[in-house]
Amino acid sequence: MSSLFYFRGFFARRAGGLLLALFLSVVTLLAGVALLGTSGWFITATALTPAGMAFNLFGPSSLVRGFSFVRILARYGERLTGHNATLALLSDLRVWTFSRMIPLAGSRLRRLRGGDVVSRVTGDVEALDTVFLYAIAPIATVLLAGGLVVATTWIVLPAAALILAGTATAAALVVPALVIAASRKPGGNLVAAASDMRTAILDSIEGQADLLAFSGIAAAKARFGSTTARMGRAKAGQVRISATGTAIVQALAGLCLLGQLWVGLGALEAATISGPVLAGILLGSLAVFEATGPIMRGAGRLGAASAAARRLKDLAGSEPDIRDRAAPVPLQETGAITFDRVTFGYDPKRPVLRDFSLRIMPGERVAIVGPSGAGKSTILNLLLRLDDVQAGAVRFGGCDIRDAAQADLHARIAWLSQETPVFLGTIRDNLRIGGARADETAMRHALEEARLGDFIASLPRGLDTWIGEAGMTLSAGQARRLCLARALLRPAPVLVLDEPTSGLDSDTEEAFLSDLAGVARGRTMILVTHARLKPGMVQRVIAPFAGETGAT
Amino acid sequence: MSAIEHNPARSGLKLSPGERAWMRGLSASARGAVTVAILCPLVAGALLVAQAWLLSSVLDRAVVGHAARETLLAPILCIAGLVAARAVLSRIGEGAGSRAAEKIKATIREALFSRVMNEKPEWTRQRASGALASAMVEQVEAVDGFFAHYMPAIIAAVLLPLAFAILVLPVAPIVGLIFLFTAPLIPVFMALVGWGAETASRQQMQAFARLSGFFADRLRGLLTLKLYGRADAEVALVHATSEEIRKRTLAVLRIAFLSSAVLEFFAALGVAGVALYVGLTYLGYLHVFGLSLTLRTGLFCLLMAPEVYMPLRQLAAHYHDRAAANAAVAELAAAFDGLPELATTSAIPTAETLPAKRALPLRATLRVTKSGEDAAILDGAVLALEAGEHVAIVGESGIGKSTLLEALAGMRTFTGEVTTGEHDGDAKTPLRPMVFVGQRPHLFHGTIADNIRLGHPAAGDAEVREAARLACVGEFAERLPLGLDTPVGERGFGLSGGEAQRVGLARLFLTDPGLILLDEPTAHLDEETEARVLRGIESFAEGRTLLVVTHSPAVAALMDRVLRIADGRLSPAPSATIIPHDRPYSGLHDRVVAREKAA
Repeated sequence: MSSLFYFRGFFARRAGGLLLALFLSVVTLLAGVALLGTSGWFITATALTPAGMAFNLFGPSSLVRGFSFVRILARYGERLTGHNATLALLSDLRVWTFSRMIPLAGSRLRRLRGGDVVSRVTGDVEALDTVFLYAIAPIATVLLAGGLVVATTWIVLPAAALILAGTATAAALVVPALVIAASRKPGGNLVAAASDMRTAILDSIEGQADLLAFSGIAAAKARFGSTTARMGRAKAGQVRISATGTAIVQALAGLCLLGQLWVGLGALEAATISGPVLAGILLGSLAVFEATGPIMRGAGRLGAASAAARRLKDLAGSEPDIRDRAAPVPLQETGAITFDRVTFGYDPKRPVLRDFSLRIMPGERVAIVGPSGAGKSTILNLLLRLDDVQAGAVRFGGCDIRDAAQADLHARIAWLSQETPVFLGTIRDNLRIGGARADETAMRHALEEARLGDFIASLPRGLDTWIGEAGMTLSAGQARRLCLARALLRPAPVLVLDEPTSGLDSDTEEAFLSDLAGVARGRTMILVTHARLKPGMVQRVIAPFAGETGAT
Repeated sequence: MSAIEHNPARSGLKLSPGERAWMRGLSASARGAVTVAILCPLVAGALLVAQAWLLSSVLDRAVVGHAARETLLAPILCIAGLVAARAVLSRIGEGAGSRAAEKIKATIREALFSRVMNEKPEWTRQRASGALASAMVEQVEAVDGFFAHYMPAIIAAVLLPLAFAILVLPVAPIVGLIFLFTAPLIPVFMALVGWGAETASRQQMQAFARLSGFFADRLRGLLTLKLYGRADAEVALVHATSEEIRKRTLAVLRIAFLSSAVLEFFAALGVAGVALYVGLTYLGYLHVFGLSLTLRTGLFCLLMAPEVYMPLRQLAAHYHDRAAANAAVAELAAAFDGLPELATTSAIPTAETLPAKRALPLRATLRVTKSGEDAAILDGAVLALEAGEHVAIVGESGIGKSTLLEALAGMRTFTGEVTTGEHDGDAKTPLRPMVFVGQRPHLFHGTIADNIRLGHPAAGDAEVREAARLACVGEFAERLPLGLDTPVGERGFGLSGGEAQRVGLARLFLTDPGLILLDEPTAHLDEETEARVLRGIESFAEGRTLLVVTHSPAVAALMDRVLRIADGRLSPAPSATIIPHDRPYSGLHDRVVAREKAA
C-alpha cells in the first residue's frame, strides 16, 4: 500500500472531483438507509396506531419521497463526477509516466521494445487509475456513511450501534484486507501464467515455420495445453479466495441483523426503545450492507493497483544514469567524431571495448563491421550517450559529449536502427517526427530519396494515409525506407545507421544499402552492419575487432 | 488530431447468428458448472423469502404481541441458519461460475492455438503475432465475466422479481400486484439498462483501447522520440489526446448513466410506494377490497421491496461483461478469419521417428501465386533432383527462390505436384523425411541448447554439442556467460541474425533427413565463418539430397549443379558460374579445402 501512497500527489490534484464523487456516493447510501429506516419505522408506527386515531402523515410521507429523489440524483451525479475525475487522472498518469521514462530510454529501458514492458506499463497505469473509483471509494463510502448511521443508532440503542460498527468495519476493512493479502500469491501466479502463455503463443507463431520443418507442431499444442491448464489453476486459486470473502461479507450482514435483533428485542422487553424504532434500526442497518457488494468486487483491484504502483514507482521513479551537467557546454554545429582510448563494458569486469580509438572526419562515410555481438552497436550507443564511457572520452568537434547537453548532441545525429518503429498515425505524422517544420516539398523529397516516393504517390490518400495498427500495413522494406526518409528530414550533420537492414530479407537488404551512399551527400555517415558491402558504398571500413582495413 | 479521428474499432456489438451459436456451444461445453452457477442464486432467492417472512413474524410477535425474547429463539435460530445457507450458496455459485468460465476459456484458447498452428506460415506471416497473442490472452479473458457472472445474473433478473411478486400476492394482493405490475416493466428496464450500459461500455472500451494503443505505440518508440528531440512534443500529444477522449466519453456517459438513474428511480419508488400503501392501510385511509394487513405482512412486503429490484441492479453491475464478451468474440472472429472449431479432443503427440539416413530423389512441378492474389510467382517450375545430388538455386532478388523452397517444404499453398519417391506431397502436409532451414530461424524462449534440440527433442548433451560445433554455434556461444545454456529470450534477443541462423542450422544436424532444403544458409556470415559453416553442411549432406537457395558464389560453386529462376521457371545456370568438379554428387569437403588452399 505504501507504493500507492507514492502517487498521492496525482489523487490530490484531482481531489475536487474525487471527493465530490465520494461525497455523492455517501449521500446515495445515506439516502437509501434513511429511506428504508424511515419506511420501517413508519409502517410499524402506523400498525400500532388504532384505526381512526390521528397520525401526522405529512412528515413521514414527504421524508420517504424526499429520500427517494435525493438518492436518484446523488447516484447519477456520483457516477458522472467519478468517471470524469478518473479519466482526468488517467491523462495525468500517462503524461507523468511518459515524461519520466524519456530520460531512461536507451540506458535503463534497453529492452523496451520487448513489448512486455510496454503492455505492463500501460496496464499498470490503468490499474492505478481506476483504483479510487472502484476500490477506495466504496470502502470509504461504507466507513463514512456507516459511521453516521452508527452515531445515530448510538443515541437510541448503543449496543445495536456497536454491532453495526463491528460488522461493517469487518466487511469494509478486515475482509478486503485479508482477501488482498491472501490473493497476493495466486495473483502473482496468475500474472506469471499469463506472461508465460503470451510467450508460448508468440514463440509458436513466430517459430511456426521452424516447428513445421521439424515436426514440432503436435508437441507445441501439447505444451500450450499445459500452459492453459496452469492459467486456469492460477485463476481458480484467486477466485476461491475472493468468493470466500464475498460469502463472509454476506454472512456479516446476517450477523449484524441477528445481533441487532437480539439486543433490540431485549431493549423492547425492557421498554428502552419502541417497536417502530427497532424496525427502523434493523432496516436501516440492512441498507448499509447493500454497499458492500462493490467493495468485494473492487478488492482485487486494490491488490493489483498496489502491485502496479510498486512497478511504476520502480520503473518511472528511478533516476536516470545519464544526466546533463548543470551548465552544459554548447556544441559545434558539426565536427569530427573521436573516440579517445575508450573502455566500456555493460559488465565492467568484461569490457566490450578496451582502449578503443577512432576518428571520423566531417562528411566521411564509414562502415563499422565485425563479428556479431563484438560491440559494434556499443560504439553507437556511446556516441549517442545512451551509455557513458568507463574510461577515455567520446568527442564531437573536440568537445567531450559528457560536457554537452544530450538534446544538443542528439540534434546533430539522425539515427536509424533496426529498432526504429513506424508510429501509429499517418505517413505525414511519421515524417513530422523527423522534421517538425518540414513542408510538403521537403517530405516528398525525402521520400523520393528513400525511394518511397512512387509508392506514396500511388496511395489514394498520399501522405495522409493511415499506417500502423488497423491501417495500411507496410512491408518490412517499405517501413525501413519510411524510417530512412524520416531520418533524412532531420537537419543533422551526422547520419547513424545501426544495422539498418537487419530483419530484412537479403534482396531487400541489398537494395536498401545500395541507395544509402546517394542519400548521405555531404553528411557524415556511420553504418554498422554485417551485410556485404559493395564498392563505393562507404569510403572506409572499420573493423574495430580485427584491426582497421583500408578504403575499399 | 488525426490520431483520434481514425477509429478502427468495430462499431456494432451485435453478434451474428453463427457467433451466437458458437457462444451456446461454449456454454454447453461446461454445462454442469454453468447449471450450478445459475441455480445457486435462484435457490438463495427462495431462502431470502423465507428469511424475510421469519424476520417479519418475529417483529410482529414482539412488537404487537409483546412476546418475550426467549420465546422467539427458535425462529431467530432459523434465520441464522438461512443466513449461513445463503452465504454457502453464494460461495458455491461463484466457484461454479469461475470453473465454467475457466473451462470455456481453455477450450477457446486451445481451439485458437490449433487454428493458427494448422495454418500455413504464409497465413500467420500476414498477421501481427503480437495481435494474435493478445487476442488469445486478453480477448479470450474478456469472455470470463459473461459466463461467470452475466449468465447467472440475467437468469436471476428474469425469474426472481416475478417469483417474488407471485409469492407476495397471497399475503398482500395489492403489493403483489404492484410488483406484478412492474414485472412487465422489467424487460423495459432491462432494455434501458442494456441500452445505456452497452453504449457506455462500448464507447469507453473503444476510447480506452484507442488511447492505450496510442500510448503503447509511443512508449515503444520512446528511444526514437528521445533521440529525435520529439519526446516533449509527444508528451503534449499524449495529454491532448487523453483530454479529447475524456471529453467525448463524458458526453456519452452523461446519457448512458441515465439508465442507472432509471433503475434507482424504480427501486426507490418500490420501497416508498409499499411503505405508504401499507401505512395508509393501517391507518384506515385505504380500504382496497376491504383487505386488512397485519404488521407481519406489512414488514414482509417492505423487506421484499428492495429485493425485487436487487437482481436487476446486479445485472447492471455485470452488464458490461456481456458487451465485453461480444466485443471480444467479434474481435476474435476478425483476427482469426472466423471463429475456430471447438474441438473437444486434443491428440497426444507421438514422437516422430525419422527413418534412417537415405538420400531421396525430388521431382516437382509447381505453380505458386502471391498470397491471396492471382499473379503467379512460379508458373510451371520443374525441378528434378537425383538422390544424393547437391543443387543450388540462384536468381534475381525477389524472383521466387524462397517461395520455391517454402512450397516444397509445405509452408505455402501451391498447385502442381511434388514427389520424393517416398511420399507424395500435396498442398497440406510437408514432405517427410525432409528438413527445411529458413532464412531467419526463430529462436524459441529457452537456452541455445533447447533451441538446437528442436531438431531432435531426445538428443543428449554430447549430440547437441556436436551439432553446435558443426554449425559454428560454439564460437559465439563460448563468449556467452553460460555457453550453450545461455537463455535466448523473447524473439531471440541477444543473438544477431547470423548467429540465429547458425543455431537454426545446428538443429538440422540433429535430424536424419533424406532431403535437405536450405534458404541462404550463409547470408549474414563473414567469409571466414561462411567457409567453416559450409564445411559443417557438406560433411552432413554427404549421401543426402541437398537443395540450397543462395546469393553466395562460394556456396553455389560447391554444388553439383546450379539452377537459375527467371520468369517463374527454372533453368540451368550459365556454365560460367559453375566451377567444374571432378566427382559427381560428393566431395564437397575436398573442394572447400582446395579452395581454401588456393586462397
